[in-house]
Amino acid sequence: MKRVAIVAGGVNKWGKRAATFRQLVQEAGKVCFDSNPNISNKDIQGFILATAYSERTAIQIHPASFMAQVLGVHPTKLYMRVENQCASGTTALRTAWWAIASGYVDMVMCVGAEKLLIPSHDEIFFNASSATDKEWEGCFGMNPPSLFAMVAQAHMRKYGTTEEQLGKVALKNHAHATKTPYAHHYERYQKHGKVSLETIMCSKVVSSPLKLFDCCTNTDGAAAIILASEEKAKELTDKPVYLVGTGQVCLNGSWGAAHKDWSEWPALKLAAKQAYEMAGVKPEDIDLAEIHDCFSISEIIETEEFGWCKKGEGGKFVENGLSDYGGQIVINPRGGLIACGHPFGATGLAQAYEIFLQLRDEAGERQVKDAKIALNHNLSGLGEHHVIIYKSGVD
Amino acid sequence: MSEAGDHKDYSYVMDIFPQQNKDETKLWGFFENLKQGKLTTTKCKACGHIFWPPEAICPECLSEEIEYVEIPSRGKVYAFSVQVGALPPQFKAPLIHAVIDFDDGLRLLSSIVETDPKDIHVGDEVVLKILNIPPDSHGDRVLFFFKKEA
Repeated sequence: MKRVAIVAGGVNKWGKRAATFRQLVQEAGKVCFDSNPNISNKDIQGFILATAYSERTAIQIHPASFMAQVLGVHPTKLYMRVENQCASGTTALRTAWWAIASGYVDMVMCVGAEKLLIPSHDEIFFNASSATDKEWEGCFGMNPPSLFAMVAQAHMRKYGTTEEQLGKVALKNHAHATKTPYAHHYERYQKHGKVSLETIMCSKVVSSPLKLFDCCTNTDGAAAIILASEEKAKELTDKPVYLVGTGQVCLNGSWGAAHKDWSEWPALKLAAKQAYEMAGVKPEDIDLAEIHDCFSISEIIETEEFGWCKKGEGGKFVENGLSDYGGQIVINPRGGLIACGHPFGATGLAQAYEIFLQLRDEAGERQVKDAKIALNHNLSGLGEHHVIIYKSGVD
Repeated sequence: MSEAGDHKDYSYVMDIFPQQNKDETKLWGFFENLKQGKLTTTKCKACGHIFWPPEAICPECLSEEIEYVEIPSRGKVYAFSVQVGALPPQFKAPLIHAVIDFDDGLRLLSSIVETDPKDIHVGDEVVLKILNIPPDSHGDRVLFFFKKEA
């Protein structure tokens, strides 16, 4: 198998955008190409588009061919759209990785995009319910906020995790995003300053015990990453970032068919183990992590399942600043899904782009000192987890 | 100026609720049972596996020989959440969602109805309450809810 590296990446401005789905794709694609003068859109042989809602919010089925076209990309080896709900972006990266590792194709572009701030919020919440097991669970109107609220309740009951500890995840991630100009809430910070714990704790309940600031933000956004084989990567950049380990596990789709104790996430534990073993690294080797804070409770449980703290101590971990700059590991340096927003198909690719910048020492004010090894993680349900580990190509 | 398109009202072909009738689903028996007041699930006659959600083919051994078995009408709340925001159309706040465990080991997700949100707790016993949901073009539809007994 060939080694595979990231050679370019980009994101556009996230937020309520006066731009269509394809224009979001164009913006992120352009930033990505502009970032590396050694790569032309004519060099791209493979193109993977990650999006979850395009049928409903862009009324565009089979979007990959049109989105390749608008970027001047004419794939001659492979092209496809991938959809794994909130994990579509990481799924695209894994798919491109295998295609390059096998020797079939030298270079693949992955673009993720989502148009979520459409005039009808009803449409978005309808889609969110139909992304659960629609026939047996979504039909009650439940969707991720209510499902993760019940996860939070289970963790709070078993381990004594508090609402204030949940709030501290949001506090940290909003603070990180004050240095991320593309973040959904960036203009808010410019105008009103940092989000305070009081604002977070006093925000309205969405689904008890989760409040508005415990939830990631629906946003319009896109992100792009170009992957290449090691030989090709060395021609294109002095600072490739290698993909060195991965894990992907789906133990169940329906939440009612999942394991009984929702405060534990065995599918993530297994996916993390796979990724650590493949990369030959341990939890303590990870310098920074871009993990799936779709809700504040998610980041707390992930911190435990990745092995950065003992089971049940994820709340204390964030409370004690151990997941912040100067702590044990920097979690979500760009501000995560909570503060950057969560354009589903784009999220995994934006996480990978942050890691690309961090491991090249190009993250500016957000730079994690001496970062060499990082991981990104998406989830697409209670029992569905996706992990990639990356290493700097610079010794 | 004439209109470019024909602006007919958008009509639902399918919605968020399950298809239930004989010409729509192989699991119409589940919904027939429900209309008669019984909550059931499917059991595989070949391997004996009882599973939730119900399926037309056993997800363990893939046998098509399935039968309906009754789920106890009383269960216990493992977790719940009162949802007031981010609701899909056709639903009104507050919704009380719950994870419900049964003595026979099954677990399902449902909503608690006819109960004050302040009166629901983890560990509470809840009892089956079958209610009508909006019909589709194939006929009446029902769904299984739970309530806390006064």
